[in-house]
Amino acid sequence: MSARNPGMNIDLEWVSKVRVNTQAVLKRAQQIQSVKLAKKQWQAAWLLKAVTCIDLTTLAGDDTPSNVHRLCMKAVQPVPYELLRSMGMHERGLTTGAVCVYPSRVADAVKTLKAANSSLPVASVATGFPAGQTPLRTRLEEVRAAVADGAAEIDIVINRTLALTGQWEAMYDEIRQFREACGDAHMKTILAIGELGTFTNVYKASLVSMMAGSDFIKTSTGKESVNATYPVAIVMVRAIRDYFLRTGHKVGFKPAGGIRTAKESLVWLALMKEELGDEWLSPHLFRLGASSLLADIERQIFHYVTGRYPALHELPMA
Amino acid sequence: MAGSTSKTVHDIFHSMEYGPTSSSSATAQAWLESHSRALGLFIDGRFLNPADRQTRTLADTKGDHVCSVVCAVEEDVSQGVSSSAGGLRSWSALSCPQRAKVLLKWASTLGQYGQCVAELSDLSQASCSPASLVRLAQYYSSWAQLRDARLPHWSPRGVVEVVVSDDCPLYSLMLKVLPALAMGNAVIVVPGLSTAPSALLLAQLFTEAGLPAGVLNILTGSAVSLWAKVAHSPTVSSVTYSGNKQDGVALCKTTAGLGVAVSVSPAVGATCPFVVFESADIDSAVDGAIEAAFKKRKEIQWVLCVQESVLDSVVARLRLRMAGLKCVALASEADRSLVEAVVQGAQQQGATLIQSCGPPAMGLQYPATVLCGVAPSSPCVTSPPPWPLLPLMSFRSNTEGVALANHSPHGHAASIWTEDLTLALEAAKSLSVGSVWVNSHSVCDPSLPTSGHKDSGTCTDGGQEGLYQFLQPSSSCPSLSRSSPASLDYDKFGSAPSPAIVPTARCVCVATKFYQQFVGGKSCKSESGGSFAVQAPDGANVLAYCPDGGRKDVRNAVEAASKVQPGWMKKGPSARAQSLYSLAKGLEAKRPELAAAIRAQTGLSLDEADQEVELSVDRLTDWAARCTQAQGGAPAVPQVGSALSLPQALGVVGVILPDNKPLLSLVTLLGAAVAMGNAVVMVPSQRYPVPALTFIQVLQASDLPAGLVNIISGARDQLTVALANHNVIKAIWYWGSPEGCQYLQHTCTGPFKTLWLHSWGPGEDEACWAPTSASLLEETWHNAIQWRSIWIPTA
Repeated sequence: MSARNPGMNIDLEWVSKVRVNTQAVLKRAQQIQSVKLAKKQWQAAWLLKAVTCIDLTTLAGDDTPSNVHRLCMKAVQPVPYELLRSMGMHERGLTTGAVCVYPSRVADAVKTLKAANSSLPVASVATGFPAGQTPLRTRLEEVRAAVADGAAEIDIVINRTLALTGQWEAMYDEIRQFREACGDAHMKTILAIGELGTFTNVYKASLVSMMAGSDFIKTSTGKESVNATYPVAIVMVRAIRDYFLRTGHKVGFKPAGGIRTAKESLVWLALMKEELGDEWLSPHLFRLGASSLLADIERQIFHYVTGRYPALHELPMA
Repeated sequence: MAGSTSKTVHDIFHSMEYGPTSSSSATAQAWLESHSRALGLFIDGRFLNPADRQTRTLADTKGDHVCSVVCAVEEDVSQGVSSSAGGLRSWSALSCPQRAKVLLKWASTLGQYGQCVAELSDLSQASCSPASLVRLAQYYSSWAQLRDARLPHWSPRGVVEVVVSDDCPLYSLMLKVLPALAMGNAVIVVPGLSTAPSALLLAQLFTEAGLPAGVLNILTGSAVSLWAKVAHSPTVSSVTYSGNKQDGVALCKTTAGLGVAVSVSPAVGATCPFVVFESADIDSAVDGAIEAAFKKRKEIQWVLCVQESVLDSVVARLRLRMAGLKCVALASEADRSLVEAVVQGAQQQGATLIQSCGPPAMGLQYPATVLCGVAPSSPCVTSPPPWPLLPLMSFRSNTEGVALANHSPHGHAASIWTEDLTLALEAAKSLSVGSVWVNSHSVCDPSLPTSGHKDSGTCTDGGQEGLYQFLQPSSSCPSLSRSSPASLDYDKFGSAPSPAIVPTARCVCVATKFYQQFVGGKSCKSESGGSFAVQAPDGANVLAYCPDGGRKDVRNAVEAASKVQPGWMKKGPSARAQSLYSLAKGLEAKRPELAAAIRAQTGLSLDEADQEVELSVDRLTDWAARCTQAQGGAPAVPQVGSALSLPQALGVVGVILPDNKPLLSLVTLLGAAVAMGNAVVMVPSQRYPVPALTFIQVLQASDLPAGLVNIISGARDQLTVALANHNVIKAIWYWGSPEGCQYLQHTCTGPFKTLWLHSWGPGEDEACWAPTSASLLEETWHNAIQWRSIWIPTA
């Protein structure tokens, strides 16, 4: 990953001036969804780009070393070598952006990846995921434990109570502490937009998270009823742009939850390209949090290369 | 694009560029092929392709041949017009529900052939989504169904000619055609070059939907001379136009004196302000501006006005967002040099550019460009820059923002961006434009009535109000009688000197009264100091001397009127009603004097004269009562959001009064204009000015603000010229000679004035001022207001 966001002192005046027009954002989201994207090699190339941005995720109660192992192997070789070769992409060592697991599974993932000789980062959710309703002390301890186990990226969740009651300073302080606990690990801050009520609150929470030094801001845990939607994403990436214009620091964006189809992943890329420009189209500034998305992308790429749609068993199991 | 197909996955993976997207036009091409790419006329429900006609060729954006279009000649015009006369008969014979059914059927036919319509309009560069046409059809079919129930005193005009300029979009064309059809008119369409193929296709679909032959005829050719040829035919009862300003002016000039009403909506090329206040969602506003100005070739030009406190953040976002924009294709080499000249001119005045890249050295590509730091006087603001340029100006306060946005000859539309509801509504009300889009832009729906304010039009399109340009009161005859234009010297019209008044022997024995006129709330002599003699009804004696008003008197009156009118409008309807009630009371009090004046002037019996005064009192009371009834509404539209339609005063209205009923006609028109918030400059009949000049006493005693009503007597033609050549006057209501009508039609084009013309000889219009004439009052009311719609997207 590239230069980190050092954060800044909280600027409450900036936060208070935020204005978001809901209908204009919805309209913009419609426009982005209606952007026509090219087919054939353009589609294939964009889909491969999407693969490199995936945080391949398993966050289930029944995760065990064996399925985490499979997940890691899939992340290291997300698209079958034969398919890559026929597209001239085999020499790049194309992998997903990271694997993402619960703190208790970090050690398993790190072990597998080390054995496979891969430098793929392991990301861990932390801080009382997904609700964030545990004491600050234990949330901080969780972060430290995951980092100690070898996680290179930590996905923290914000305290929605603080955000909803407008206690931005308190929220800032908490995230600051998480950032310290992360050490060298990159921090992605989950806003849980489904529980923030308004676009304005999403924008404010995004700003405060970035001021506190988040390297990424992330839409949702995947466990709320509303997940990554394009309108909310527009609000968040505009906050990223705003922060960049004021401070010069580039913060990444990670939509997560409910992203399942190849077509959706293309729209996400188009959204980033339209709103933030080409620089944000790479894994160090853009991640897609997903578990089943990869299978659909593989299917599309298989079709591009062979002209046929594969049976499920023809693609490696995740 | 030859190189792009050889791009490998690997290249694209690194560049992450958008690939080529091509839209198919196979269906449209097939339709064109079925007509051998040589489109003809559509007359009497059939395609005609007469031989030996000149043709015009239409090319697509890439310069490929699309089709050729026949240019109609005299013979085709007369065939079309006689077919329309037959079409009108069969269309009128149908009932309202039957006509509504045809329009609905057309909407569903459109659904079936939507692909073809979309592709064809795209191909011929008159893009239009079939969905918007379906909406038009559905909306107007409901009006076709309800015409007799909701508009009982009105009947169709007859054969309506709809003309559009070459650059007019298809939607604007159909926004004229559908209401005309729905109201029961037959329509002759003269489409522009780009709208011709789609118009022909749509006409074919109409036939399929069961429209009787001849109701909709299409004559292609689109030159001003063809428009005039069609308008020349006495069968045609009104002409309506949509398109650019120059062609609209040309149309008005060539049809002047034909005795046919012409209404124009010159929206193409209008400059519209895009105002971003500091309280706006800046990101959305910037996205909106880019979308509005650069995404598609639009018929209107935007000017970005940004509050100074957020200027830097707007510019920073524009830079970032525009970095990703590609160059756009210009239409021609000439366009390119025009764009370059405008950019260079702006740069010389110190403007800075925001572009995604420098303009390529050659070819018809040009990058989207924002010109920052231009002034309202810069040529790129005054004469709208062509696509893809967007001038940017800054303002300090909210009030200054509105003033900056209003500082334009155009009054088509505006887009304002703020999250402050009060500011949004206040700004929307103070902008003199037909459509205000709050936190959005370019929202169109047929249920929103909009009038072009200022130079942007002389009629209302959309809503119930937009129907009246295709209707006439059932009770009255058409106000203009068909004639052929006189050979009028427009420079000399109204310049004949009035005869000098010298004391004669006869004056010694009769004490002749000198009257004064009423300007700016004071009674005064004319600026020139001259007077003219008014004959007594017996014709032998001079009854009175009246001021011989002229250009300077009109200037003074308009100055006073325009000062006081905004305040009068703001007063609100109930305050205006009170003033009119008290005016009526004042008139009642002076009843004997006015009756005497009418009697002395017209020679009527005292009873008849007294009756006219009584009717006048009633008429004023009636207008007072109607003040509070005039209201807009909240039309229901299919999009998500809230719409408001508001009636607006026109501003200053010039009125040339008829000879008949000199007092009743005066108060009828005065009452209507003033009730709706206008100021008036009235010219009493040259023959019978005394009652009007006597009425000044009533005005002086009233509580109407000084300058709201002005009465200037004098030579009619001379004052007609003075009113016609004052650019502040937005509308002229004229009763007078056919030559006067011709002069006004010819002259009132820059800026456009809304004309309500009557070329009746003496005695003919007596009935129309009768007390029970409900449609007269309604018609007057429609002429006294213009409409504005406000659109606010909400959930």
